[in-house]
Amino acid sequence: MAVKPMTGQAFFVLSALADGPRHGYGIVGEVADLSHGRVKLKIGGLYGVLDRLTAERLIEPDREEAHDGRLRRYYRLTSGGRHALAEEAELRAATARVVRARLGLAGGEAAG
Amino acid sequence: MNDDGLDLEDRYRRVLRLLPGYYRDRWEEDMVAALLDSRMTGDEDEDYYVLVYGRPGWPEVASVAALAIRLYLGGAGTPRRYFAWGQAVRRAVLAVLLVHATQGLADLTLLAWRRHLAAWFRPLPASLAAPAPSSAWPTVMNTVDYAWIVIFLALVLGHHRTARAIAALAVATELVVLLQAQFADILLRPLGTWSSWFLVSLAPVLAMAAFHQDAPPTARRPWLLALPGYYLLVPVPLMVIQVTGNQAWLPDSAGLGCLVVGLACLAHAPRALSRSRQAAGCGVWSLALTLLAAVAGAWRIVTLGNYVHDPHLMRVSLAELVILLAAVAVVAPDAARAQMPAPAPPPYPHPG
Repeated sequence: MAVKPMTGQAFFVLSALADGPRHGYGIVGEVADLSHGRVKLKIGGLYGVLDRLTAERLIEPDREEAHDGRLRRYYRLTSGGRHALAEEAELRAATARVVRARLGLAGGEAAG
Repeated sequence: MNDDGLDLEDRYRRVLRLLPGYYRDRWEEDMVAALLDSRMTGDEDEDYYVLVYGRPGWPEVASVAALAIRLYLGGAGTPRRYFAWGQAVRRAVLAVLLVHATQGLADLTLLAWRRHLAAWFRPLPASLAAPAPSSAWPTVMNTVDYAWIVIFLALVLGHHRTARAIAALAVATELVVLLQAQFADILLRPLGTWSSWFLVSLAPVLAMAAFHQDAPPTARRPWLLALPGYYLLVPVPLMVIQVTGNQAWLPDSAGLGCLVVGLACLAHAPRALSRSRQAAGCGVWSLALTLLAAVAGAWRIVTLGNYVHDPHLMRVSLAELVILLAAVAVVAPDAARAQMPAPAPPPYPHPG
């Protein structure tokens, strides 16, 4: 059965959790930083992705912390999520190497 | 305090009521916290003002509304009733687009016939000969008819964005043509024409939102085969009736819609009834046919006004409506079972 490719949003959300747990709005900020401001997640979009990633067991709740009278729930990568992110990162890096080589830029794969 | 007695948190909770209950149970507190966090500036006075007087921004409301559509017209992972609704809407949309596409094919057939591209055919009868166009609008409408073929194929083949973009262009073009005709006072039956545009063009295009990223892929083969199949079963016999000079036997578009959906309900009835005996309640096709029957029935009722001065055609139209209602009554119980809520999935584990 074909594996559904990871969406760009899911990739960025998993990447935002790669170095430690984050809460919802923390993920939004980290995704904006990681993408140099090109991906601005709206809350509806974020929780659509979080719901899917939780159902696929790629992320899980980590802890809850009170902040200004509200509970912030933090999320972390599962081992499956770490593995899926590493695979996707490798795939994207390989693609980037090929593209750089075709463009004749430094860091591209040597033509075979 | 605010006139409405609400603060920003209350307003966000009101927006989140757009989402299904099972989803709110899982995510509402988290979403409210994230939404409020997104408005905080760090300045105590400004934050206080925002918390008391602030209102949800339109981009956030739109993102929640888009999420609500994705959840109610569910894809993989949503509870059974929402998945059934999503599948039913997707099939109903494909069925309407199939009809549009075969109409485009019929137009192409007539075009080929008029231009003598098929030399072995006898000349096109006068009843099907197109009058010399007095303006560019008929050509524009024909182009839109051909575009529906591309829209249908793009949707079936999984190019959802392309299909949505061309469909939006097609309905917008139809709107312009209709407005032009309305203002030029050349629209013969305005109510029928506008209701047709709303029910059969605009509504299905809006419902294409059901083809979101969580939607399962469309079964390509049966839908691709349905295109020539429906073309041979409906438009071709209708053209034959016209060519042989029996136009009086042709139903109008709304009547044809009632008859086709009614026949489809009757064809599906054995499956719907056997499923009811098994009480499996997975009648997505029954639900899709019920949706189509609602559209066809509404179209028929709205266009009854065309025949207030013609008792014969009024009786024919009412008979079409009765046939539709009788046929959909056979599959409606199965459709109702498809919507029965299954036990909600357990909430995600809280950190502990």
